[in-house]
This record gives sequence, structure tokens and C-alpha cells, in this order.
Amino acid sequence: MTFDLTLSGSDLLLLAPEIFLTIWLCVVLAVDFTYKQIDHEKLAYLSVGGVIATLINLIWFDYTGVQGALFKDMFVLDGVAIFFKILVLISTAMVLLASIDYVKSFKFFRGEYYFLVMMSALGMMFMASAQDLLSVFVTLEFSTFGFYVLVAYLREDQKSSEAGLKFFILGVFAAGLLAYGISLVYGETGTLIFSEMTSAPGSYGLAIGFIMIFAALGFKIGAVPFHSWIPDTYQGAPTPVTAFLSIAPKAAALAILIRMFYVALATFKPTWVLLFVVASILSMTYGNIVAIAQKNIKRLLAYSGIAQIGNVMIGLAAGTKRGSDAILFYLLTYLFANLGAFAVVIGVSNRIKSDEIEDYNGLNRRSPFLAAAMLLFLLSLAGVPPLAGFIGKLYIFVAAIEEELYTLLIVGLINIVISMYYYLVVVKKMYINEPHDPTPLSVSTPLKTVIFVGIAGTLLLGIYPKPFIDWAVSATLMFSNLAAPTASAPAVLTSLAGG
Amino acid sequence: MGQLALLATLFAPFLGAIALLFVPNREPLLVRAVAATSAGTALLASLYVFMAYDPDEGGFQFITNWAWSEELGIGFHIGVDGIGAPLVFASAILLFAGIFISWHIKDRTKEFYIFLLILAAATIGVFMSLDLFFLYFFYEMSVLPMYVLLGVWGSHTKGYLSMTDSEGRKLRDSVGFILNFGSNSKEYAAMKLTLFLSAGAVMALMGILLIYHFSPVHTFNILVLREVAHFDGTLATIIWVLVFFGFASIAPIWPLHSWSPVGHAAAPAATSMLHAGVLMKLGHFSIIRVAYEILPDATRELMPIAAVLCVFSIIYGGFVAYYAKDTKYVIGYSSSSHMGYVFLGMAALDYISLTGAVIYMFAHALATGMLFAMAGWVYDQTHTRDIPSLGGLVKNMPFLAGAFVIACMASVGMPGTVNFIAEIMIIVGAWEKYPFQVVVAVLGIVLTMAYLFKMMRGLFYGQMSPEYAHARDTSQWVDRLPLLLMIGCSIFFGIFPMHFYNVVRSTVVPMLDRINQVAPVVTQNTTGLLP
Repeated sequence: MTFDLTLSGSDLLLLAPEIFLTIWLCVVLAVDFTYKQIDHEKLAYLSVGGVIATLINLIWFDYTGVQGALFKDMFVLDGVAIFFKILVLISTAMVLLASIDYVKSFKFFRGEYYFLVMMSALGMMFMASAQDLLSVFVTLEFSTFGFYVLVAYLREDQKSSEAGLKFFILGVFAAGLLAYGISLVYGETGTLIFSEMTSAPGSYGLAIGFIMIFAALGFKIGAVPFHSWIPDTYQGAPTPVTAFLSIAPKAAALAILIRMFYVALATFKPTWVLLFVVASILSMTYGNIVAIAQKNIKRLLAYSGIAQIGNVMIGLAAGTKRGSDAILFYLLTYLFANLGAFAVVIGVSNRIKSDEIEDYNGLNRRSPFLAAAMLLFLLSLAGVPPLAGFIGKLYIFVAAIEEELYTLLIVGLINIVISMYYYLVVVKKMYINEPHDPTPLSVSTPLKTVIFVGIAGTLLLGIYPKPFIDWAVSATLMFSNLAAPTASAPAVLTSLAGG
Repeated sequence: MGQLALLATLFAPFLGAIALLFVPNREPLLVRAVAATSAGTALLASLYVFMAYDPDEGGFQFITNWAWSEELGIGFHIGVDGIGAPLVFASAILLFAGIFISWHIKDRTKEFYIFLLILAAATIGVFMSLDLFFLYFFYEMSVLPMYVLLGVWGSHTKGYLSMTDSEGRKLRDSVGFILNFGSNSKEYAAMKLTLFLSAGAVMALMGILLIYHFSPVHTFNILVLREVAHFDGTLATIIWVLVFFGFASIAPIWPLHSWSPVGHAAAPAATSMLHAGVLMKLGHFSIIRVAYEILPDATRELMPIAAVLCVFSIIYGGFVAYYAKDTKYVIGYSSSSHMGYVFLGMAALDYISLTGAVIYMFAHALATGMLFAMAGWVYDQTHTRDIPSLGGLVKNMPFLAGAFVIACMASVGMPGTVNFIAEIMIIVGAWEKYPFQVVVAVLGIVLTMAYLFKMMRGLFYGQMSPEYAHARDTSQWVDRLPLLLMIGCSIFFGIFPMHFYNVVRSTVVPMLDRINQVAPVVTQNTTGLLP
């Protein structure tokens, strides 16, 4: 196998977003080192500017249909890659903005914080383009590297150090599993590129290899039974980092999972559906039931995130184009609702220095804005119309019923009711209970912006999701060979519905 | 024009809720004015829709159909038939009345009206959805505001466990108390209601998804599904059971009623009105819209289940209402008992009885709305809902007492009110198929008289306790207007029901002909029954 690493100008174009972001994050670091006295808020805006410029670049790529592959398919830029890159960058921009007040409480290394966040984002952008097991390994470790530092950023805080250590040990363990899985797969198939594995004959070695890779990626997305690091890490990490951790790496890892199972393992679909069915049922049920008992809002959101990933895996279990559309759309809804909820948590903890759900008592009296925003985000996570989460869930369920996965569907529907309970308990604390301390809470402008973006996304995706659904559908065109047979008859529709 | 009016009915409350976001909380009068304006717009628009509905043409009218997602086969498809139109009108009446009933709420007025408007708008949305997706969308959307409305502005249900019979023995609603844990708090009532209804909703959603999957055209459009989707055998039974029990939990049919009286009792007056008045009818309406339209064969075969369960609803609810000592429990259980009549009218699958059932939904909305509004007023004045400790309030509240008598008469089904027409039609229509149930229903009317008159005597007559001497009557126009509106509608349609009857019948006849597989001819001469 020879690698052709020569680049022409048009190839470089495909890498433009990544190259631009690399330069930009070096600039941010350089500015921080050069002007020691610079206001860190300015650094944050500088970083957000770079991220937004990259975002515009990607949206332009999506609009003009720039696509292609580099380095013998190790790096691809297709619809799915662009979609996940945009998802990662939106979350990065929101997290950077939400961090501004929080970073002020750091004693050291305020400038490096923004650098590290952007570096992780860069890693995850590469992850979204990984079409080859070697690049999967490299990009995954690249993105996790930044997080190891970020999670343990509060040096003086014991919880943060503990979280960092847990995250590191389990992360390294997952990396080992990944490497071992990759070596097994390579041994069985003789290739590392997904699209070349499709014709590989089934064997135990291949199965074990892919199960190991699945386990390693399962750590990243926090699926049961690979979730054990999630609650402690989420609780201990600085809240903006938790927010980032709760969406961006999960999305990037899902991009890899979709590619791996939809492209490399498409022929073995009957075998791996069961894997996702079991993981999905376990994640949803475990996440939702354990969330009921939580007293800390970050832990509650951690467990709710585990359950949400269970929902996403329903789409993977469907294994159709509709399933992948649904996953993409679901992640968009999850992005806005989850980051919005974390932004409210940041807003509250900036003021009262507490993440206990008990301290959310009477939030409606102290800050009607924060309480109303949290209400919207939690109800969206629970899947209540007219909010985004409902459409996401419905889309996933439609994908599941087309593949007749009734067990999964019934478990998913029951879990909606279970999850409603603990989300409503938070609503009860905010709206019904009286505050211990009725002083009003103020919200800073950048954080308010993030919350407004979250609200706008949650409402827009719920009320008018058509453009986003269409985007998800066109992004996954490469999976159209997996489309479920549909018996739609437009003539009948128009004749009956029109009159 | 009618199309525009229908859209206005749906969107006026939503826009009102959005406008309220920008009204400062320290100007409660402006908040109320905005809420009343949007509700008033909805009321006028829905009145126009109801009056402009052409019974000669029949079918769905004032249709708006916007593509919403071709990918999933969803359209924003709204319109009303003869069943939807009166229910939209009833929702708008109750919303408008509810705004005025809550005029004196001081705590977080703005939020209260926002949630109330969303609740009502979502309810109105269900009654005009011609797309299964939007039916579910609005249905689930109407459940959540209830949680906040009950939890924040509700009251604890102190009288819950204190029910005694004439000899002083303690009684309890053993079926209704499933999952009760003896809690009297409003938070508990709110949570129970929300979870119960959500569980019902996801059950129905499973049915809807099965319809979507197994129909030859992948669409949520009810009009298309009605023509092209045919289900039979086990599949039809499964879908029907999911849809029926999913939606019947909000109706609420015995034994799924346990959330309802607790919810009524804990809710603030305006919420109880909307809850008992129209929210419960979402159940019947959705069953008619989904099961009757899309699963006619399964409906014909399985509807006897409803005919059996409605007997328990009527008798059980009636007896518990008789022994309950809390005014709102009496009205709450009376509502769940009266919903049994609607199920009886639906189950008989007869032109007259189904028409009666639809008119009954409208009539009950007005009657129970009045009762809850007045129970709420009495509670605000005396801070108790315990009937034995009240009494003699007629001296302080002559207007209210008079209105209460009229409301009780309407609820019992006195001639001259629209309830009478509805009741007699259900009884006459169902007699041929379910004579036993009809006998039970007539006994239920006697029972209704017994508990309502008992409550009336307990509240307004007899000896007045001196601690309630300060209780005031409704004296301002804002307090009297909603009561007069509801009484007026009830009596007006009681005396001039012909348009109403024609509107409902124009839809009921073709629907039942499909279900009963007969040619669309009128088999019974009903003109003699009507004034």
C-alpha cells in the first residue's frame, strides 16, 4: 500500500476550513503570549470570530457542493462530513461564548483555555472526515488530547482533578481497545479504508475487532455499558467544558460510527442491528431511571445525555438512510437544547456557585428569563411539541418503525414518559417552589446570546424543521442505497389532499 | 373568509401569548387586556366558523393545507367538520370566560395568561387538525401547560381523603386512588396528571406510527389515510386498542379516570374549566377522528368495549360525586360520570346517538365550565371547598346562587338548555342497541340531580357559618360576564338547536354509514324530536 501525499491547489481547498482554524488558533495563542495584559474577553471574541469564519466557509462548501477525498480516502469531505463539522463548530462557538464569565474565575491559563477548546474542535472536525481506521485513531486521540487538559482545568478543585484522572484513564483504555480492534480488522481484511472492507468475508476476528472499535467509540458517546466515566467527569469538569463534552465529541464519534457501520459493514447489517438494539435499550432505560435519583443538575444532564444517546442509537439500529437522516436531525435538536440547558446552568452557577437542583428553587422568581429558557430546553429534551426534541424523536421513531423494530420503539416510547418525570421535577423546583434567597439573578450579555441562540434553534427546529430535514436528507445521499422501500404515490396524495 | 377565521381562531391565542412576553409584569391590567383581546378574537372567529359551516355541503370545510415536510409526509392541514366546529367554538367560549374568571389572579399574572392561552390554543389546534402528526402535536402540547398551571396557581387538595357516607363511615375511591400514596399536594396532582396523559399519548402515538407504517401511502394526512388505508385482522385490533385506550385516558373512561378529579380539584378555576370543559373532549374527539375515520371496521367490532366501560363511568363517578365533600371533587367526578354518556352515544353507532354525543360534549363544556367557575369564586371568597362547613351563602351571593341553580339545571339536562337535547338524543339513539346502558344512563341522571342539589343546598342554603359573613357576590361586570356568556350560550342553543343539529348531523351520517357499511340514507326520522 502506498500513500500519495502530494497536494495540489484544489486539494488544499478541501482542507481550507481546517487550515484556517489551525492558523487562527495559533494566532489566538500568540496574541495571548505577546500581550500578557490583554483582556481575556477579547481573546474569546477573537476565537469566536475565527470559528464563525470557518463556519461560513463550511456553509459555503455545503451550498456550492464542494466535495472530494484526500490522501487516498483517508480524509473525505462529503455531505456527512460537512454536516458534522458545522455541528461541531456551532457548539464550539456557543461554548466559547458561554465560557467568558466562567473563565474569569480561573486563576491561571485563561488564554490557553480558548486555544485548547479550539484545538479539540479542530480534532473533531478531522474526526468527521475520517474514512479510514488509521485516521479514526489519530483524529480521535487528537481531539481527546485537548479534553484531558480541559476537564482537569480547575487545578485547585479536587473534583475537577478526579474527573480529569477518571477521564484520562478510561480514555487511554478506550484508545488501547481501539488500536487493538484496528489491528484485528486489518489482519482480517488487509485494508484500513472503510469502502474497501465491504467485500470482506465475515469472520470471528473481524467481529471481535469491530466490537472493540464499537466499545472504544461507545466510550466517546457514553453509551451503556461504556458510560461509567460520564457522571463524575461531567460533575467535576468546568461547566462550559462539560457542555462541550456533552455534544461535540459525541457528534464526532457518531459520524465515525455511521460511516463505519453504514459503509464498511453494510453487508453484515443483520448481525450488528442487535448490537445497537441492546445498547440502545440499555442506554435509554438506565440513563432515564438513574437520572430520577440525581441531586446535581450536571449529573442529571449527564444521565439524560446517556438516555438521549440511546435514542440516537435507535436510528443506528434502523440502519437505513432514513435512520441516518434521523440521527443527523436529532443531533441538531440535541445540540440546541442541551447546550442551552448547560448555558442556563452556567448562568446560575456563575451567580450562586452551586449546581445542586435544590438551589434552583424559585428560579422563576429570581430570573424569569433563565427559568423560562430552562423550561423550554428541558421540555425539548423530553420531546414535547412544539419544541425541536419532539420532531427529532418522531423522526427517529419513524425510521425505527420502517424497519419494524417494535421492541425498540415501545421501550423508546415508555422512556419518554419516564424522562418527563425528572425533567418536570426540575420544572417544579424552578416554578412551584419558593426561593430560599429571593435576590434576582442577572445574566451577562454573551451568555444571554448563547441562550437566545438555543431558544431560537429549539423553536425553529420544532415549528419549521423542513429546511433542516432537507439538509439532513441531502447530506446523507451517499447512503441512498440503504433506503427503505417506500410505497409513496404522489399522484394519490395530490389528488386527495389538494381538494 | 371562513378559512381566515379558522386560522385566526388557532393563531390568535398563540399570538396573544407571544405578545404577552413583551408586556411588563408590573402592568397587570395591560396583561389582562392583551389576553382578553386575543381570546375575544378567537371567540368571534370561531363563532363565525361555526355559523358559516354549511351543513348542506358537509365534510371538511375551511381547509388550509401547507406542506410541512414532504420527507415525512406531514402537512399543516387544518379544517373543521361538523364535529370539530362546535368544539372549536366551545373551546373559544371557555377560554374567553376563563380569562375573565382569572381576572383577580395576582401572582405572576403574565405567566398565568401565557400558559392558559397556550393550553387553549393547543386544544383548539387538535379540534381542527386533519393530519395525524399535528393532531398529536397539539394534543401533547396541551398537556404540558397543565403541569405548570396546576403546580403554580393551583391549590392543595385537602378534602381528598375525607369522604364519608350518611352514617359517618369513611369512603374512598379505591379505583381512582390507584397510585395515590395519600398525597394531597397540588404538585402531586400536577405530576400525576401529566404523566398519566403522557403515557396515554405515547400509547396513541404508537398506534399512529403503526397506521403510518402499514398504510400504502406513507403519510399522516387523515383524508388520504381514510381513503387508501385499510386495516383488518389482528393489526386493526392492535391499532384500535392503542388508539382507543391511549386517547380514552384523557376522556377519561373508567378505570383510567384517576388523574382527572385530583387534577380538577388542584387546578385554578379557569384551568379546571378548560380541563373539564374541553381538554377531556380531546379524548372523544381524537377517537372519532382517528378510529372512526381510519379504522371503521375495527370500530364497529370493538366499540362495545366502550359500551361496557361507560356503565362503570356513569355509576361509579356518580356515586363518588354523591359522597364527596369537596365542591371541586363533586364537579370533577360528575364530569367523569357525564363523559360516560358521550361514550354511550359514540358506542351505539347510531345517527341520533352520535349526534347527541357531539352536542353533549358542547353542552357539558358549558355546564361544567359554569360550575367550576362558580366553585372557584366560592373558594376565593371563603378559602374552603368543604361543603359541610359552608352554607347559607345565598344571603351574600344572590346572583351567584341564581346562576348556580341554572348551571345545575343545565348539568342535569333540564329542558330549555342544550344539555337536554343532547341527553335525550343519546338515550333515544342508544335504546335499540344498548337498552341496559340506557336504563343506567337514566338512573345516572337521577344521581346527577341528587349530588348537584345536595351540593347546592350545602353551599347556598341552610345555616351560614359566621366566619364566611364577609363573602361577596360577583358584582363587577368582569366577574358576571363569563357566567352570563356561558348561560346565554347554553340556553340559546337549547332553544334554537337546529343549525347546530344540522351541522353535526351532516358529518355524523356519512361517517356512520362507512362504519355500518350501509348506503348513505337517513333511516330514522328525527325531526319530531326537536323543538
